[in-house]
Amino acid sequence: MKRIWWAGWVVLGLALAQGRLEAGVYGVSGSLASTLEGGFTLEPGEVYGKLQVGQESRGALGLSSSLALGPLGYLAYGLQAEVGVGGLGGMAFAEGGAGPLALAARLGYRSKRVFPLFPEEGVFGRLSLRYRLVPKEVVGLLLERGEVLRAEVSYALREEATYTLGAGFSGLPYLVLGWKGEVGEGMEVLDLALRLGGLNRLEAGLYLGEASLFLTLSYPFAGSLGVWLGDLGLEGGYREAPYAWVRYAWRWP
Amino acid sequence: MEKPWGILLLALGLALAQSVSEILDRVERNLQDPWQAVVQGQIQGPGGQEELKARVLAIPKENLFRIEFQKPGSLEGNFTVITEKEVWNYLYLTNQLIVSPKEKAQVQGLGFSPQGLGDLKGLSERVSLRLVGEERLPEGVAWKLVGRAQEGQGFATLELYILKNDPRPVRFVFRDEAGKVMADLRVVEFKKASLRPQDLKRYPKDAQVVRR
Repeated sequence: MKRIWWAGWVVLGLALAQGRLEAGVYGVSGSLASTLEGGFTLEPGEVYGKLQVGQESRGALGLSSSLALGPLGYLAYGLQAEVGVGGLGGMAFAEGGAGPLALAARLGYRSKRVFPLFPEEGVFGRLSLRYRLVPKEVVGLLLERGEVLRAEVSYALREEATYTLGAGFSGLPYLVLGWKGEVGEGMEVLDLALRLGGLNRLEAGLYLGEASLFLTLSYPFAGSLGVWLGDLGLEGGYREAPYAWVRYAWRWP
Repeated sequence: MEKPWGILLLALGLALAQSVSEILDRVERNLQDPWQAVVQGQIQGPGGQEELKARVLAIPKENLFRIEFQKPGSLEGNFTVITEKEVWNYLYLTNQLIVSPKEKAQVQGLGFSPQGLGDLKGLSERVSLRLVGEERLPEGVAWKLVGRAQEGQGFATLELYILKNDPRPVRFVFRDEAGKVMADLRVVEFKKASLRPQDLKRYPKDAQVVRR
């Protein structure tokens, strides 16, 4: 009886806490998997979880905290533990910025990838550093070992729109070109990035507020087209096989 | 003989306290319509003494304020929006909008509270102000109010100058516990403006919104 009371209090506490819940169905090659992601903001930080149940299942539980410096900056950091197919796993991360410097870093391990919620395999990590040289110019460094292995440097200039030029290495050298700017009166944004050479990928995002559209095209051939209409997310594409992913998000209060 | 002096001092104290709320009421009445201004001066930032320049947009009747940072260069493109219940901080470099309840949104590191620049009435609730006299400034004669801040404001004391013939704040001096100036800011290019709430609440649609 005591346990039921405790469970009741925990459920009530989480319901009253600020939170989000995202439930979805992922289908690939005739098999379906359920995906569930949730996060609850509590006084010391956020508790979040991810769960994918299907032919291969995996779940993660994470804790994150943050430091807000008003208009000066923001830093979030946390730890995630995983269990499921292939055994245990985990990840540590920190991301944010203060003044002229922005950082995003994560390091983790899992023995087996499970698309779409756990896409990396083995030891994976990412380090992104960006520094604002002068108000309108930003230089960046990116090191990544995940779905691809790459190193990249970039320079971005903001003149109304932001133009990015960079170079990277992923087996072979590649070129980075980017354009990001406002396309409407209400700060709607179009974001385009093209990588050619050792990595071949076009990424496009159109953000309209109530709706957002995403497109990625890669060679060797892979691609996806996604849309978020308010709280409903629809995505379809090809990644080793055709797939589709439908999600719905709740946020409260 | 001591008693009448005590009563006189008490009466004087009450009269001055009355004056502060009266001055703030006059400011409130004068600034009822939407307005905009530029705040500029020196601040004690994390990297030492820096120049600050920010555009302030206000719709006082809606309790809505927006502060767009232009200097120092590391803050250019960042802005703060203060609504009835929340403070939004947009960070250009990480493209994030950090949304915090007003009571949690204390600001350390700038040496002053940007919220106070737009929302004087709100500021006076966190700083016990008293009138100490009048001073002649380039803009005209101004009332000088000084006060001690409640804990957690990011500064210890405040000097606030309010123009007499057009009641509005024209200078803020924020100091730390040791009396060192952390920010000395002047309000320039003040004008009444036609502003809509949606103009003040604008942010890039691709920004990551983080609720704390």
